[in-house]
Amino acid sequence: MGDAQLFIDGAWVDAQSGETFPTYAPSTGEKITDVAKAGRDDAQRAVEAARRAFDEGPWPKMSGKERAAKLRQVADIINGRSAEIAEVEARDGGGTIKKAMFADVPGAVSTFQAFADCAENEPDVVERGESPFPPAKSIVRREPFGVCSGIVPWNFPFLMAGWKIGPAIAAGNTVVLKPASFTSLSAIEMVKAVEEADIPPGVVNLITGPGGSAGEELAQHPLVDKVAFTGSTEVGRRIMQLASGTVKKVTLELGGKSANIVLDDADLDLAAAGVLWGTFFHNGQVCESGTRALVSRKIYDEFVGMLVERAGKIVIGDNMDMATDLGPLVAPSQVDTTERYVKLGLDEGAKLLCGGSKPSDLAAGLDQSAYYLPTIFEADNSMKIAQEEIFGPVLCVIPFDSDDEAIKIANDSIYGLGGGVWSKNLDRAHGVAAAMRTGTVWVNDYHMITPTQPFGGYKQSGIGRELGDYGYNEYRQIKHVWQNTATDRNGYLHFAALSGNI
Amino acid sequence: MRVTGTAAAERVVQRALRDRRGALVFTIGTGCCESTAPFLYEDFWPGPDSEAVGEVAGVPVYAPEYLRALYPGAEGVTVDVEDSMAESMSIETEYGCRFVLRAPDGAPVPNQDTQTCDVPEAVSALRSRGPQELPEALRRARMR
Repeated sequence: MGDAQLFIDGAWVDAQSGETFPTYAPSTGEKITDVAKAGRDDAQRAVEAARRAFDEGPWPKMSGKERAAKLRQVADIINGRSAEIAEVEARDGGGTIKKAMFADVPGAVSTFQAFADCAENEPDVVERGESPFPPAKSIVRREPFGVCSGIVPWNFPFLMAGWKIGPAIAAGNTVVLKPASFTSLSAIEMVKAVEEADIPPGVVNLITGPGGSAGEELAQHPLVDKVAFTGSTEVGRRIMQLASGTVKKVTLELGGKSANIVLDDADLDLAAAGVLWGTFFHNGQVCESGTRALVSRKIYDEFVGMLVERAGKIVIGDNMDMATDLGPLVAPSQVDTTERYVKLGLDEGAKLLCGGSKPSDLAAGLDQSAYYLPTIFEADNSMKIAQEEIFGPVLCVIPFDSDDEAIKIANDSIYGLGGGVWSKNLDRAHGVAAAMRTGTVWVNDYHMITPTQPFGGYKQSGIGRELGDYGYNEYRQIKHVWQNTATDRNGYLHFAALSGNI
Repeated sequence: MRVTGTAAAERVVQRALRDRRGALVFTIGTGCCESTAPFLYEDFWPGPDSEAVGEVAGVPVYAPEYLRALYPGAEGVTVDVEDSMAESMSIETEYGCRFVLRAPDGAPVPNQDTQTCDVPEAVSALRSRGPQELPEALRRARMR
């Protein structure tokens, strides 16, 4: 029996197998609780419940305005519990309480509000004009897909749950969500808010667990109409293959190795802070992290000196303390990965400028094996540490001589998720932004994501967009309705095309 | 690039071979939460630029072109297994473990003679919690 259960068809239940798995606080290694471990059969039950709720339930038939009211209620409930949820989020995932309070929880609240706005304001029926012959008028209807599955990662568990549940149900779909097994607990809190808002049973279902077969089922089940996934590129490819069996719509938000370009006319004070923020926020465990800083050779030495000096001022410690900037990584295994890449970087001749080890002076009670120092390398873009996504606190600084060279290096990646450009000349900055093959570019900023604007990737960073009206419409089918407006045979071409005798 | 498996990895693959009916394949994949890692999938198409670079317990291991280029020649990479959770939908995740890649030698990171970021001791302490108030600038963030 797990303390944390599955939510299927409006009821909290154990996994059919009765199995559970433990979840830990990364900062201390302490176990928090046991979580129900869903298997293939649980995933099937959840999908079937979502299917019934879509085919027979009231949710898809409600007006956008009615659904918007429910989403706003969910937002209000989460907002009312924000301190409690932030603590759950930070404790289970290892992110700082500061991040949970300014990004995760308010971000999820505004996500539900933004998609409530979409449900209310985005038209369901659009008049598309008339045809002269045959005389006709066209309308396009936007309709929900049906059952949507969402599989989300451990780096922003609460926010990502909102990014999947919010648009899906706003558009009238039903949903089955699977959080990452490192971080199941805040998704449970979100589903509790959905339950309290009296959203009908089966509209939102939650299954927890590591998800070999449960995850496969969410991607391939014939009753699922759309799959949304955030996570690794390789898993994204796996999901596309599984979804291909019944030709499901798939949206993917995958890996990145984003470039943060500092031009010679940048405000170096702001840019240095922006590069550190772009890489080290949440220990680099962010898909769009700007882990390659491309720095103009004209200002290179001064700028790199600023980066190294300031990296040492980032406060590492207890993630539940508001004064802490960086807590642990999600698990010791993530530190192992980071260490492996640091070694690869040294082997390939990258120059270590700072960091490169675990912190040695953590307070008693913190699990040192889960922490890693902000690490900066001077690297070549062809090196493994500059090409592969590490998902740890490792920044590669790469010099360039011209804007064209910076763009070339930035685009020399299998990924295309995010990027930054720093310059006081906005024409120049926007020129670079236009040439970057990525789904988001920040000019003189980084990591800013708002629920009203699209987010997603070029190349192997994904397909489709999340957030805003673009993200909302990923959850809506497009139906063209043609209506012939003629009243007699003169308004039809059938007779000429086949025979006047029909 | 040449990939082999440890004895422990082979045992887990053998269990997966018993549990699954389809053809198993390892793909060494990329990015985001798992970083570069081996994934064990059933009936998986490795992709147009992937080639076999070894096998573990008779299961072929594929890697895409760009990764093969990063690990050229006979540089040995090992598939190992550790007790840890993962989100990869890789078959072994159900067994409470995950496949990991080991670098050519398992040696620890050498000591560096470069500078290390100093972390002020006073602020890395596990302190008793004071008021958990967000700084003003974060409180007024309203992104629309």
